[in-house]
Amino acid sequence: MAEGADRKTWINRGVFALLAFVFIVIDLVPRDMRPPVWAAPDLLLAVTLAWVARKPSYLPVPTIAIFFLMTDFLFMRPPGLWAALVVILTEVIRRQNRDFRDMPFLVEWGTIAVGICAITIVNRLVIAVVMLPQAPLGLTFLEMIATIAIYPVVLVVAHFVFGVTRTAPGEVGSKGHLL
Amino acid sequence: MARDKPNEDYIGPIRRLLVGVLVLALLGLFLLWRIDSPRVERFRAAAIDTVVPSFDWAMAPITGAANLISDFESYQQLRSQNQDLRRELQQMKAWKEAALQLEQENAKLLDLNNVSLDPQLTFVTGVVITDSGSPFRQSVLVNVGARDGILDGWPTMDGIGLVGRIAGVGNETSRVMLLTDTSSRIPVTIQPSGQKAILAGDNSLNPPIEFLGDTALVRPGDRVVSSGDGGVFPADLLVGQVALGTDERLRVRLAADYQRLEFLRVLRSQPHEDIPDPNELLTPEAEFFGPAAINPVSLQSIEVSDG
Repeated sequence: MAEGADRKTWINRGVFALLAFVFIVIDLVPRDMRPPVWAAPDLLLAVTLAWVARKPSYLPVPTIAIFFLMTDFLFMRPPGLWAALVVILTEVIRRQNRDFRDMPFLVEWGTIAVGICAITIVNRLVIAVVMLPQAPLGLTFLEMIATIAIYPVVLVVAHFVFGVTRTAPGEVGSKGHLL
Repeated sequence: MARDKPNEDYIGPIRRLLVGVLVLALLGLFLLWRIDSPRVERFRAAAIDTVVPSFDWAMAPITGAANLISDFESYQQLRSQNQDLRRELQQMKAWKEAALQLEQENAKLLDLNNVSLDPQLTFVTGVVITDSGSPFRQSVLVNVGARDGILDGWPTMDGIGLVGRIAGVGNETSRVMLLTDTSSRIPVTIQPSGQKAILAGDNSLNPPIEFLGDTALVRPGDRVVSSGDGGVFPADLLVGQVALGTDERLRVRLAADYQRLEFLRVLRSQPHEDIPDPNELLTPEAEFFGPAAINPVSLQSIEVSDG
């Protein structure tokens, strides 16, 4: 929320935007035009969820919506659907953020995994309902698994490289308020 | 929640409302796209057209790194590759000789027949800027667009074979839907049997052949060319060779090198002349004699007067 944003938060928001931009560009760079046999993890989704689970103040909702809507447009997906699902999922995780602080990591990972599965399934259901051509089931499944599997790695990198850590109990912001 | 900041008590509901509105707006966009796809797709093409060319500076280092890695891989196989190439060169020399002879013969025959080949089939060459970015869609973005006169539906080739068709034109960029995309359907002819079929992309490297009349006439190794049916493409563009897939379906091994699509030729495909009534081409308008020529109105009047 913008009210409580101090300088460090703004810098971290910039860092996220840069990171997301790099992931999008990496996806877009033309390397091999043969259809893939396996699907790489959706790094942008994993990073977004990791940031929201650890430091939600670094990642306001409009940023998520803008970036995912942009990828919807760039990656030739139905515009809006995936972005809406991701925004809903991040809102759910954001609300649970305080509970995550005292929970073991496995519970957090499980919640994230269930969330990713849920939005993937809902995405396929909606596409089936409005009768659009479906993406291959195997690839979707592989991408989902890969995204879930990469989540701990993303957390470690976020922790040690970008300093996105859980808020410690009793930690205060720059204005002395409880986080 | 007791640990919440005090000001969240009134911010919470407003925030929830705003997020709800945001989600609804996104879903509304999705529905709008579903209902009026062409308009939103035009918007998508325009958006990509403005955004992607400005990514150039960011893409250069990543493309460079990827090329470095693939170059390194190819250095490792240099020796075996060299031998293969030498062997291939030997075979090619024989082919070259044959081709030269055929070319001379062809030129002589064309001269005898006084044939003029279609001079209107020219092309624009573009560079591939990005791929689709997702494993589920097979398309690339090339750096030629409406300002170069590109139109939707034009065929695209690499040096050898058909690659795809233009689907979506921005001012400076246009999207090429590859033959491997799940929504790509191309009418093809299989030579030498002349069977017509549809090449249907299914997100695999070798797309299957569908709606084939007689499977017995087609053998693996036959040439597949575009058929020009339905006015979609000009005829006789090379697509690839028939191959028998592991699932016992006839598939096409594409002639274009999908591993390295760097430059693409967009063919200026001239619109077909529309023939609304093929009978008129062959015979002049028929004149009918006999009972059919009697004016039905006069018949009716006769009946009325009889009654």
